[in-house]
Parts: sequence; C-alpha cells; structure tokens
Amino acid sequence: MRWILALILGLTAQAALATLNVVVTTASMGMLAREVGGDAVRVTVLAPSDRDPHMLQAKPSMIRQLRDADLVVAVGAELEQGWLPAAISSSANPRLLVGRPGYFEAAAQVDLLESNQAADRALGDVHPAGNPHLHMDPVRMGQVAMALAERLARLQPALGPDARLRASRFVAAVQDRLPGWQSRSRGAPGVVLFHKDAIYLTNRFSIPVHGYLEPVPGVPPGARHLQTLTSRLQGKPGVVVRHAYQPAQAAERLAGALGWPVRVLPLEPSGTAGAEAYFQFLDAWVNGLAGRQ
Amino acid sequence: MNKPALLACALLPLWSTAQANPELDLLKAEIQAMKTQYESRLAELENRLKQAEAKSAPGQGAAPASDRLGQVGAGTRFNPQISVILDGVYYNDNKKGEAVEMLEHLDGINHGHDHEGHAHGSLDRGFNLRETEIAFSATVDPYFDASLYLAVDSHGGVELEEAYFDTRALPAGLKVRGGKFLSGIGYQNSQHPHSWDFTDITLPYRTLLGEHGLMDTGLRLSWLPRTGSYYTLLGMELFQGNEQIFASAGPELPEDVADTSFGGLADKKAGPRLATVYAKVAPDLGDDHGLQFGLWAAQARQHQEVHDHRDENPAAAVHALEGESRLWGADLVYKYDAPGAYGQGDFSLATEYLRANKDLAVAYHQSNAGLIGAERDFTQDGFYIQGTYGFAPRWQAGLRYDVTGLTNRVNRAGSISRMDESDRWTLALTHRLSEFSLVRFQASRADLSVEGEKEQANQFFIQYQHSLGAHGAHGF
Repeated sequence: MRWILALILGLTAQAALATLNVVVTTASMGMLAREVGGDAVRVTVLAPSDRDPHMLQAKPSMIRQLRDADLVVAVGAELEQGWLPAAISSSANPRLLVGRPGYFEAAAQVDLLESNQAADRALGDVHPAGNPHLHMDPVRMGQVAMALAERLARLQPALGPDARLRASRFVAAVQDRLPGWQSRSRGAPGVVLFHKDAIYLTNRFSIPVHGYLEPVPGVPPGARHLQTLTSRLQGKPGVVVRHAYQPAQAAERLAGALGWPVRVLPLEPSGTAGAEAYFQFLDAWVNGLAGRQ
Repeated sequence: MNKPALLACALLPLWSTAQANPELDLLKAEIQAMKTQYESRLAELENRLKQAEAKSAPGQGAAPASDRLGQVGAGTRFNPQISVILDGVYYNDNKKGEAVEMLEHLDGINHGHDHEGHAHGSLDRGFNLRETEIAFSATVDPYFDASLYLAVDSHGGVELEEAYFDTRALPAGLKVRGGKFLSGIGYQNSQHPHSWDFTDITLPYRTLLGEHGLMDTGLRLSWLPRTGSYYTLLGMELFQGNEQIFASAGPELPEDVADTSFGGLADKKAGPRLATVYAKVAPDLGDDHGLQFGLWAAQARQHQEVHDHRDENPAAAVHALEGESRLWGADLVYKYDAPGAYGQGDFSLATEYLRANKDLAVAYHQSNAGLIGAERDFTQDGFYIQGTYGFAPRWQAGLRYDVTGLTNRVNRAGSISRMDESDRWTLALTHRLSEFSLVRFQASRADLSVEGEKEQANQFFIQYQHSLGAHGAHGF
C-alpha cells in the first residue's frame, strides 16, 4: 500500500514540475529556446553543431525525442527537409504536425534572403523558400525570439509574461552589441565562403562576399571553379572561410593562390549555448571576417 | 506586446545611417545617447508589459500578430509532392546474359513459383532502363496522409507498387496504415530500390520474400511506446496474403489435367490470411552512432501452390499443395555519421537473417490418389551482411556477402531431401554527383545452385539514378 502511495505522490510531484519538452533542430535554435523558455523548458538539440544540418538522417533516437515533445523548433526553409518531416511523421506525435502550435519554424517568422529564386536545380540544391541560414543574423534571431515567446505563451499561457520578457531582453542584448559588430566589420576586406551559409551575417554588416568555393550550392569545389575564382580575385584583399566539416583542400588552395588567410569558423554555436555563447560565436565570425583574430 | 521588437527594428536604420558618419566621436556620443534612451524606454515597456499580462487572464488572448503560425515552409508549397526516380543500368555477365535467369531459378523451396512470371529483374546485356518510380504524397485532411508509388517499366507498363493512407492524429504514439504497402518487417523490406546501397536485391529477400519483398494489401497498427531513451517500435499487420511466394490462395489448376486426377484444393479462405508482427529497438548512442535491432515473424494461415513442371519434364505429374507458412527474421543496422562533408567517413553496417517454413500437404495429384494428404515440409533460410564506407567526399564503397539456402530442405513424410545454397560477393562503388544524382559501379561473383548444379556467375553493372521533384527524405 505504501509504495502505491509513494508512486502516486511521485507522479503528482512530477506533474507539478512539468516542463515543456522542446526539441530543436540546430544549436542556435536551442539557444533561442533556452533563452526564451528559461527553466520552463527542457531543450533537446537534434543536429550536432559540427555537422551540416541539411545532410542528416532521421535516426531512431530523433524519433524517440520527437515522440514526447510538446514543441519542435525548426529552422525551416527546407533546411531540415531531408530528415525532419520523416522523423516527425514516424514519431506519431500529432502535436508536432505542420500547422499545429507544436510546430515552430524560424524561417516563417522573418523575411528571408534569396527568396523567390528560380527553383532550378541546375543552380544546385537551392531552396525556393529562401536561404535558410538566418541564424547568422542576430536581428532576425531577435524577431524569432519574440515569435517563439508568443508560441510558448500559446502552448502554456502561464509561461507568456516571462517568455516575452526574456525574449525582449535577448532583443535588447542584440541591440547592445550591434554597434560593436557594425564598427568592427567596417572596412572588412571581404570574404570567399564555402557555402552560402553566412550571407545573413555579411548582409547585416555590409561585408562584401567575393564568391563561394562551391560552384553551385551542394556541389563540391572543382579545379576549374577555383581557377576562375583565383583569376577574378587576384590582387584583392580578403579571407577564405570554411567550417571544420568542410574539406580543407579547396580553401587552402584558393587562399594560397591569393595570399589570403583561411579562417575555420563553426556554422553553429555549441549545442548547449546560451545567448552569451551565441554572441561570442558571432564575435568570432565578425573578427574573422574583419581580418582580426 | 511586441513593442520592444518594433523598437529594435525602428532603431536599426539609425545604426546604419550612423555608420556612414566618419566622425567617430560624434558617433559614439550619439550611440551612447540612444542607448540610454532606448534602455529607459525598454524598461518602461517591460513594466507596462508585465502590468498588461497581469490584467489579462491566461489563455484568453488571441493569436498575436508576431507569431506566424500558418506560414511555414515545410511541405506546403507543392501539393501533392511529386518525385520521380530515373534508374538505368549497363549490364553484363559471364553467362551470355543467363545469370539473371539463374538468379530467378535458384534451388530452394520457392523454386519455380515466381508469380505471373512478370519480368521484374529481367536485364539484357547492354543498356537497360529499369523501373522508373513515380511517387505522390500529400496530406489528405487533418486526419490522414496518403502516398502513391507507381513503377513504370521500359515499355511503358505501369504497376501500382504502393498506395496507402497513414493516420495523423491518433494519440499515444499509435499509427494506422492501410492500403497496399510494403510491410514493416526486416530492415530492407520497406526500402524502395532507389535507397538501396547496391544495384540489386539480396539473395535471401529474392528467394524467401520475392522480388518486391513482402508487399500486400492490408492494414497496419504501429505503436511507439514511451520507453525512456530507447526507441521502440511495435507493429502488427494483417494482409490479404494473395500474391506472396509463401502466401497465396486460390491458384488455378491446369484445365487439361483435371479429369484424370485425384483430390483438389480447398476453397480460398476469407482474408486476411497473412499476419505479421515486428519490433524494432534502438538505443540512443549520441550524435555519431545509430544502432537498431529488429525482430519479426509472419504467418500465412492458407497457402496453396500448384506444381506443374511439364515444361521441363513432360512426364512430371501435376500436383498441388496447401497448408500454412511461417517466416521469421532478425536484423541489425549500425550507422556511424562522421563530421566530414558530403558523406566522407560515414560508415554503415546492415545484416539480416531470414527463415521460411512451409508446412504443406498434397491436396491434388494428377496420377496418384495415394499421395493425397502426404505431408511436405519445406524450410529455407539465408542472410546478408553489407557495409558501406564514404572513403572520399561523395564517394562510397560497399561490400556485401549474401547467401540463401544454408538450410534448404524438403521433408516428404520423413524422407528429407536437401538442396545446395547459393552465395555471392558484391563490390559497389557509388559516386553521388549531387544530392540528386548518382553513378554506381557494381561487380559481383556468385556461386549459384541451379537444378542441382553449381554455376559461377559474374555480374557487372553500371547504374545511374536521377531524382526529380520533391526533396527526398533519408530514412534510417
């Protein structure tokens, strides 16, 4: 008898502490969920920070996480198209279906760059909805934070006031740092990126992009393309940026030919990042692109 | 409610115009002034926000404008989603093109029962267009998703592969699928050919489940229970059991032998005649590793087959068997996801064991009444093990060993006759030019047992695959 009582007590105690189970796709979305949700959410990140979030597989462990989620926070704009819809569908969790409050897509909350481009795959793995790498723009992330606060409020009204407050604090923190980033990126020599995944940052801080190592998105760099880039950029200053998971060879060759430095920068902050770590991640990018490191 | 956000947006243009000002001191002063200004306003707004929140009862607020619930990019742009997979091979072998035929007639318990003889795996030496897969999928309404897969052969003949609905809104991790679909048993059974790591189907699947794997018309209930960090999937399916090499009812006896014969096949039982159960378990091994175990069983409560071998031997008596069949299998999949780009360093290992048993009795015999009721018990098993490794960006090497007929016997009322096994080694080299196209080179060396003789068959393929339309999903 006593153990039944203990069990009931245990269960009710658990129910009282019930937190929202938030599953996010990328580390930066995890940062937002933690910043906005605070202690009221438990955040699980599906895509490791050191992988291309576009190229994952719907693993059983992801399906397991989604099965118990109250909210999934995705980047959207087809970034997770190859695995998230399949994982959500397999998770048999009707709360997370597209269009329900349990499905949140950051890309739907902001205006995207490169939207309404030709959906022609001769141009590579293009996303007609727009470029999905919006997490590189702290201002758009602020807008997403505000929208996420509203979504948390809709899911659990008691969370609303705190979530909105925390989201506006994040926005204020971004505003605090913008002038610093602006002034540091002024006069940046420009950059050759591996993939079109930092254009929200270069766009925000008016850093010139001289080109991409990939001839078209999703296609690895070839010798001919590198030659074209080299001859076009000869004599100009700049930096070459790649992520740790992208092959080093092409970046080194181009940088060597042009006498530019190569910066290895992460695409995402760490999986447990809070706002501070996210801002440091942006600091590293701004410093890297500005030629200071 | 989102005034801080609006404020933030309103401030932005100010920053960018300020940026153009060359006088740094002036700029700094301006920034400082604005900063103090917006900080005090922000604090004020936060206070007002808190007061407003305190007044409004929780839950009654309408959807705020800043959260765009309806506008998502996922899956709503094209309806239905359509995708097409083009698949072609250049083929050659050391048997003047006969190796494909041999693979269809391996010694085993299902020998000679390829249904309707449709030319699924038929290949000419040289260029071949394989089946073109056309897939449609869409959400029907809040309650159902539906999918349709068509296979078009090189002559334009269309075959309906799968057409099914899935429930969307069932609670407690339950899902129902109904229609014609690939069973969830095993690892490879539910995969379409374009997601295979090799050009052709494995020997145990081909000989024990048939060219398509287990695909039938029926209903599935699957359940994803709450099992901590472990992924557990339990499924149960009921199928008509009509077109399987181990589950078939109501075959026609040849008309020309009917009058001189003994016995007859029982009436076709009402469906469903085939049931399956399966379980899959996967521990959470972190970001780099994925591991899944599976176990399944299938039982057909009515199976009938007609043996008419007069083409090969005019003196062979036509006879028919009926009874039940049982199958089971186990599978294990491991995948390592390396941080490298374009699949470099990725590794996968998949292995499956399958075993089939047909417990039949003679129901009809052309010439011998004494054999009616005589028992015939057939057993055959097989396994495959295959690995792939991404040795360079976009390049994958695959190695496979598959065998069928390790146990390969017929028990005719106590007298057991055994058949030999057939096995094969396969090497494949796959180059993915982009996410949407691939070229594969595959060579295999097989020791096949055909009509009691061992044949050594070497096969060579160059395959291309192109994927058009909706962005495909990569399952585990």
